[in-house]
Amino acid sequence: MPVLAMIGSLVGALVDLGGPGHYVHWGFIQISWGNLIVIGLMAIVFILAIALPFPHRGGDDQ
Amino acid sequence: MSAAAAAHGAGSRRRFKPDRDADEWHGRYVPYDLVKEFLIALLVVILLVVGLAVVFASPDDKPVTIRSWSNASPVDFAQTAITELDGTSGTGSYGPPYNTNGTAQSIGFFAPAKWAGVHHPIDTANDFVLGPLATLPNDPQVGAAVSEYRAASPAQQAAWTAAYEKAVADATWQNGALKVPAGDYGPVGTIVSGLTSMARSGALDGALLSSRQFYGTDYTKPLLFIADGQYLASLADHQHLSGDQWGMMNETGNWPGQAWLWLYTLWYQVPPMKTSSNADLQVFSIMIILTIILALVPFIPGVRSIPRWTRLYRLIWRNHYREVERPPGTSGARSGAGPPKVPASV
Repeated sequence: MPVLAMIGSLVGALVDLGGPGHYVHWGFIQISWGNLIVIGLMAIVFILAIALPFPHRGGDDQ
Repeated sequence: MSAAAAAHGAGSRRRFKPDRDADEWHGRYVPYDLVKEFLIALLVVILLVVGLAVVFASPDDKPVTIRSWSNASPVDFAQTAITELDGTSGTGSYGPPYNTNGTAQSIGFFAPAKWAGVHHPIDTANDFVLGPLATLPNDPQVGAAVSEYRAASPAQQAAWTAAYEKAVADATWQNGALKVPAGDYGPVGTIVSGLTSMARSGALDGALLSSRQFYGTDYTKPLLFIADGQYLASLADHQHLSGDQWGMMNETGNWPGQAWLWLYTLWYQVPPMKTSSNADLQVFSIMIILTIILALVPFIPGVRSIPRWTRLYRLIWRNHYREVERPPGTSGARSGAGPPKVPASV
């Protein structure tokens, strides 16, 4: 087995996203599930950034 | 001197406005290690990138070249080649910056492409067809056909190309050769067949890339030639990458794409941009105007007060406001000056 092919099989993607894309249609809006998930994750990170307490030492401002 | 001090200063005529001016901070200061925060953020991002790359990899579609196109769809290539020869292709009839055969995009008097003029001249017949064929060293038949075509009158050339364009619509690919119904198209059949063979060998990619620079980095010609055909458009449609499919946001396969371009590509989906021949310039102008408005938010009355109206900052700095608003004398109440005096409304 060629070395490059062996390395490729070892470090190859665990999840294959190369298949036909999946999309959400809503009126004129069309968005891929990949984009929708990333946008949802960004929204969750934003909410967590506000909701979670800021790490600070005792007596510090924030 | 702070804005507040300037606003309150002796002899100053400017009144203090909470949406424009800020009180000088009289409270205490605490140290904060920005370098540490930066390094932690860098480490987290590196771990995320490596981890996600191992799990999901990244899109790696093979590039579309003239060679791959002409091998996958030789009939489409031949049908496109004749439009390059007679100048009716998308590039041949585009106008500035490539030629003067089309109308540049404009909004009223605003026509930047027209003002810039033809600064990347492309004569599709010579640059895409006749010129590359002239570089073939050992093909006297094609060389004679090119010479015959060049020597003919413009009217004769137009008659040949029109006849061939009609015939090649019913062309087929059989046994490794282009089969075109017979017609009175003179040397054009030999020219297009020769160009198709050249394309399938990969020589046309090289001929279109040739430049005076040592390293050829200008892919304009091969990209335009490929974009004039139907092959690339069909691939893009299949992958949801076309402009009317929000393609600017998308990536091949199921990978997430450029989600931050949602606003840019949104305008292409709504009238009048959806059907306008000036859509690119219209969308570009809208985004420039919106970008200017965004940059000027601190100077726009009302808009600049939205953060104070929404009071989101009080949620982010809730510990601070809880401390400074605690009644004096209670445990944890902060002495000294309070936070910047930010009213709830203007």
